[in-house]
Amino acid sequence: MMTAHLSRRRFLFRSGLGIGSLALPQLLTNAALGGIHSPGKAKSVIHVFLNGGMSQVDTFDPKEALTKWGGKELPYENLQTERKTGVALPSPFEFSRHGQCGTPVSDLFPQLSKCVDKMAVIRSMHAELPSHELSLMLMNSGHQRLVRPSLGSWLNWGMGSENENLPGFVALCPGGLPVGGTNNWRSAFLPGVYQGALIDTSKEDPKKLIENVRNPSITSEQQLQQFDLLQKLNRRHLASREGEPALEARIQSFELAYRMQTEATDAFDISQEPQHIQDMYGKGAQNRQLLMARRLIERGVRFVQAWHGPSQPWDSHDNIKKTHRNVANQCDQGLAALVNDLDQRGLLEETLILCTGEFGRTPTVELGITGGGETLGRDHNHWGFSLWMAGGGIKGGTVYGATDEFGFKAVENPVSIHDLHATILHLLGIDHERFTYRHAGRDFRLTDVHGKVVHQIVA
Amino acid sequence: MPWPSRTTIRRLAGCCYLAGLIGLAGIPSPLWAQEISYRRDILPILADNCFECHGPDAKQREAGLRLDIRENALELTDGRAAIVPEKVGESELIRRIQSTDPDEVMPPPESKKALSAEQIKSLGQWIQEGAEYERHWAFEPIPRLNAFLSQEPPAKVIDHYITADLQKRQLSLSAPASRAALIRRATFDLTGLPPKWQEVQAFVFDDAPNAYERVIDRLLASPAYGERWGRHWLDLARYADTHGASAIGFQRFPFSYTYRDYVVQAFNEGRPYNRFIEEQIAADQLDLAPNDPAHAALGFLTIGRQFRNRHDVLDDQIDVITRGLLGLTVACARCHDHKFDAIPTSDYYSLHATLANSDAPPELPLVGSPDVPDRYQAELDRRKKHRDDLVYEQGVIMRSRLRMQVGMYLEELVKGTPEQDTSTTFLSYRTDEWRPVVLENWRRYLRTFDESDSVFGPWHRLSKIAAEDFKEATQDLVKSLEEENGDPKKFADEHRFSQRSPKWNPRVLEELKASAPASMLELARAYGRIFEATHRRWLSELLIASEEATPSGTVVPDEDAKHRIINSDIERQLRHHLFAPGTPTTLDFTHRKNVGMLNRGVTGPVGGAYGAIDSLNLEPHAPPRAMALKESTTEPKPAFVFERGNPIRRGELVRARFLSALSNSSSTAFANGQRRLGLARAIVDPQNPLTRRVLVNWVWLHHFGQGLVATPDDFGTRGRAPSHPELLDYLAEKFHLEGWSLKRLHKAIMLSNTYQQSAREDSKAREIDPENRYLWRMPTRRLEMEAMRDSLLSASGELDRRIGGRPFEEKDGNAVPRRSLYAFVNRDVISNLASTFDAANPSTCTLERPETLVPQQTLFALNSKYVQERAAKLIELPALAATDAPRARIQFLYRRLFSREPTPQEIDLGIQYLSKENMQKSIWVQYAHALLASNEFHFLD
Repeated sequence: MMTAHLSRRRFLFRSGLGIGSLALPQLLTNAALGGIHSPGKAKSVIHVFLNGGMSQVDTFDPKEALTKWGGKELPYENLQTERKTGVALPSPFEFSRHGQCGTPVSDLFPQLSKCVDKMAVIRSMHAELPSHELSLMLMNSGHQRLVRPSLGSWLNWGMGSENENLPGFVALCPGGLPVGGTNNWRSAFLPGVYQGALIDTSKEDPKKLIENVRNPSITSEQQLQQFDLLQKLNRRHLASREGEPALEARIQSFELAYRMQTEATDAFDISQEPQHIQDMYGKGAQNRQLLMARRLIERGVRFVQAWHGPSQPWDSHDNIKKTHRNVANQCDQGLAALVNDLDQRGLLEETLILCTGEFGRTPTVELGITGGGETLGRDHNHWGFSLWMAGGGIKGGTVYGATDEFGFKAVENPVSIHDLHATILHLLGIDHERFTYRHAGRDFRLTDVHGKVVHQIVA
Repeated sequence: MPWPSRTTIRRLAGCCYLAGLIGLAGIPSPLWAQEISYRRDILPILADNCFECHGPDAKQREAGLRLDIRENALELTDGRAAIVPEKVGESELIRRIQSTDPDEVMPPPESKKALSAEQIKSLGQWIQEGAEYERHWAFEPIPRLNAFLSQEPPAKVIDHYITADLQKRQLSLSAPASRAALIRRATFDLTGLPPKWQEVQAFVFDDAPNAYERVIDRLLASPAYGERWGRHWLDLARYADTHGASAIGFQRFPFSYTYRDYVVQAFNEGRPYNRFIEEQIAADQLDLAPNDPAHAALGFLTIGRQFRNRHDVLDDQIDVITRGLLGLTVACARCHDHKFDAIPTSDYYSLHATLANSDAPPELPLVGSPDVPDRYQAELDRRKKHRDDLVYEQGVIMRSRLRMQVGMYLEELVKGTPEQDTSTTFLSYRTDEWRPVVLENWRRYLRTFDESDSVFGPWHRLSKIAAEDFKEATQDLVKSLEEENGDPKKFADEHRFSQRSPKWNPRVLEELKASAPASMLELARAYGRIFEATHRRWLSELLIASEEATPSGTVVPDEDAKHRIINSDIERQLRHHLFAPGTPTTLDFTHRKNVGMLNRGVTGPVGGAYGAIDSLNLEPHAPPRAMALKESTTEPKPAFVFERGNPIRRGELVRARFLSALSNSSSTAFANGQRRLGLARAIVDPQNPLTRRVLVNWVWLHHFGQGLVATPDDFGTRGRAPSHPELLDYLAEKFHLEGWSLKRLHKAIMLSNTYQQSAREDSKAREIDPENRYLWRMPTRRLEMEAMRDSLLSASGELDRRIGGRPFEEKDGNAVPRRSLYAFVNRDVISNLASTFDAANPSTCTLERPETLVPQQTLFALNSKYVQERAAKLIELPALAATDAPRARIQFLYRRLFSREPTPQEIDLGIQYLSKENMQKSIWVQYAHALLASNEFHFLD
């Protein structure tokens, strides 16, 4: 394994949490790694994960037919989802057209809907099975069962980090773990260093966010002296082993770690933002972590994943009117602020925002465990769902693809998760077919043997 | 198989290659020629550039051309052959690789591959010399040792091979390491722990010629040896204490530790490697006593990630066996023939068939004769009873419902619902939803009848009728079948034991007549009603018959007309399809995997009842059990290739047998009931050259930080060629002659001058051999996560040396001072220490860990509470606290942490630092902390 590294690893120790400035030459000298060949517009990605599954017919995919057929059986047999569903359930939310492009968005997102001219909506997404964990793995790693590296790990391995003082892949989640836990940001067969670093954004003290970033038991003066002693010892040790790259690299790494103690905590400290920016994002962990995401991207973090919350907050099996309203309220202001804030700073062009769940929800009402009883909620739906992207070379004001008359299944220009991954890589300037990693005798790809770039949403 | 090939011998004659090996006269001619060599020069070019389309994978093959087999490459097509030996100009291959026409040039432009001028020249030269093919080196037999080599001390042979290659490059071994450095290196290598100062002293001053050998013997006899090398093995065996892949939370294996402890013990006892492999793959088939601790060895197969899909579990087993033990990437062949190595999908599915017939036994065997506390046994019995009752009852209810739903399943089949992959269930069901397994049962079941069947005969006949004629055809059929049956009075209402049903089941005919189905869909519903009514009559008649037995009941003779339905042959004929073993609705819920088919509200409690037994077994007083396997003794179902890995696309029939590239064509299939044993024996068969090459390379890798083959899990054509092929083969063969003894192998390696040389850096040598592939020095190695943590605990005097047992967890950063290999390994939540310090990925077989250097590692050294606490404990050690003299204390620390005396300058440096805060305890702790964080503590010379 790891043939990609072996040849030079004794020489070229990776510095930084990513592979930093050393990455590119090393990549290009290795036949297995020749993935990056044209500079894309996007340099980094913020993936807002509406985990649990956002309902398309209540947000970005209005279906009049649902209202007409409300309370009636659909004219075709309901597609198989995780649980049995019944009659058509009209959306309890109002849709209206927004922006110059006129993209319809429901009143669940009053703030975000003002940004539609910068957003591309895909209405024809589909996954493979109506199961959370499998679809989460598919969305994150391109395979629903087998252990594969996640998108963020691939990007960090391939592109390196632009800030060696910060992890290149950060997963933000307030107050716990999503379904599937750390498997969502695993590096699998890529080196462990490329896995996502989880930050619990319900904690407010930035010093507590990264492990071992400070030593609270001694004063900074004491630490400086101790550090000085340590490096003296290390240099003495090196003196009789002149030129040993591993030893030199660790000495450098100590310098880096020492600097990180202040820099890394700053990155997560949103209290350093001016008040009007904090107000722009709004209150609550979901909004605040989007501001944190912006600060991280600004500092060169390659991939930030902002999970809505632990478990599966968007999983509205019951009373979708109330539950979807709650979760949308928690992030609407922050999402709009993120788009606008990045735009104001000129960062939107190089930052791709992806906002999606692992699948969508049924247009039909979920039935209770006992016969007939309805829940006023919707079941998982992998047959068709919506997501949106903005920035990073996305063509704003676009709507791509369509589901059937009722919003159940993607029928026009269906987009698979592999297509989505291929498109994201394309926006980052990576040819998904050539972006491979040799492991266990095989060249692995994020998109396996699939994936087609959706050029229609690329500016 | 001719070996070595004719051309190789010819080319070697008179070459100076053997000059460096004077003293090794009579050594078999090397596999690796000096000039053009197929293995070394040609195969890599072909493998990288041509085999993807002209290689072993039949499905991807273009133009029918195959370049990996000589006779195919020489075949004439349209008057030309890709390769014409000794005629470069006539060889199409050469013409095409040199062509400038984009339609002709090979590799084609879209492959974005191109051959260098040098590669083209090599190919030309090779064809000119006769285009001799050789088998990929790793598949060649390992040559026997001649008399000289088999008697020469192995350490000396190792040095001969290494120095010969160094000399050719104007390099040489470095000077011997100092004794202090050597004992430190050897102790870490064999035990993962630092040497004690007394041990260092004893060795430094031991003048006996065998002083070093005695150190090695002592270390190999130490129980810490098994812990150290057992941990290396656990990397390979993708050891973990949890299932992995769970949705919420994680599930623990109650007995994973028994496999870990087996491995440690096997290394310590010096278990021969061939026996070690046999036990891990087939302990249950070795005629061991039922409680023999070696049953725990099967954890090798069973502690892998518990995918929901059974085929993924088997894939993981195939991967660990083939990549871990054979250095072959067979898992590639799950979906298509291997693109580069001679591993067709049929090989993959032969291994699949070998492993698929085994499952965990209902009760896992105890390991040895442990204490089984009464309260544990009582509680276990209680929980099992609860589970069994629940499973039994819910099974009865479920099956009873399925008997009412025959129509629903027949309708699905009529609708053309495609074959379902039943290897996994993920949906949550209500009563009225069809289960894929049951649907497939019905599909298969119906196929077992033909038009002559008294119940399903009409079904089969009518299924051939066109829609427009259906209604009429049904009535015609019923009429003619009734006529065949004859006088209906004979079997009207009165059926008894003595009466036989007529040829065609009258109930079926009655229903078809009454409901007059006009389509297959309606026919499906009609059959549904037939079985519904049959089941309903059975249930109500059961109640009636039972009531007769109550005190108030009236006894009725069984031949009485009252029992005409329950005892009727006509009814029995129908009931057979609902109740007989092997019929579609007789699902067995004592298989845990079937629990998911129960209703949404039931799977929870039933799953919980199984979980309650696991939880009990997780408690500390639960006796250890082996995570064993048992192979089914019933005749296995035929096994097929799954086309593109898809279990419902069955390809060619396969037998349970070994990889074709490593077997004779005459080799037979593994015996039923002993398939895994057959596999294990094939793996350790001395005729199989891979197992030993892979193993000795793995051992070498852990002594030198890199293998002789730099891709330790890929000995295929795309792996790297060995740096010292003869040495690799020598070690592999010697290993065989020495009884597959790992301890002897360690000793041979460690007694060599190569191992004992110093780690000094040399910029000139570095220029010639930047990767130190030829070992002009001992590589400097960083301690792995386990050795680092154990060293910290050892330095602070806390290390608890107890061996084995249930895994420990360090919660909230509170140290549990046991050796790191006993730490709880969670597949879902990798510990920070493990991920930061490159521990092996517990979900996949790892022969070599990645090595990264990241600031999290140095942040840990600088700031973690863990290191600071160890520093504080170290300063509190009585031996240190006994003196106030700073020099003595500094000396104590250097000896303890670095196995050497401090220099005067180092003492001064320390005193200077300590004086800043008047030698208070806190500054001593900070000082010790700096020493524990320093490079010298973390690296081995």
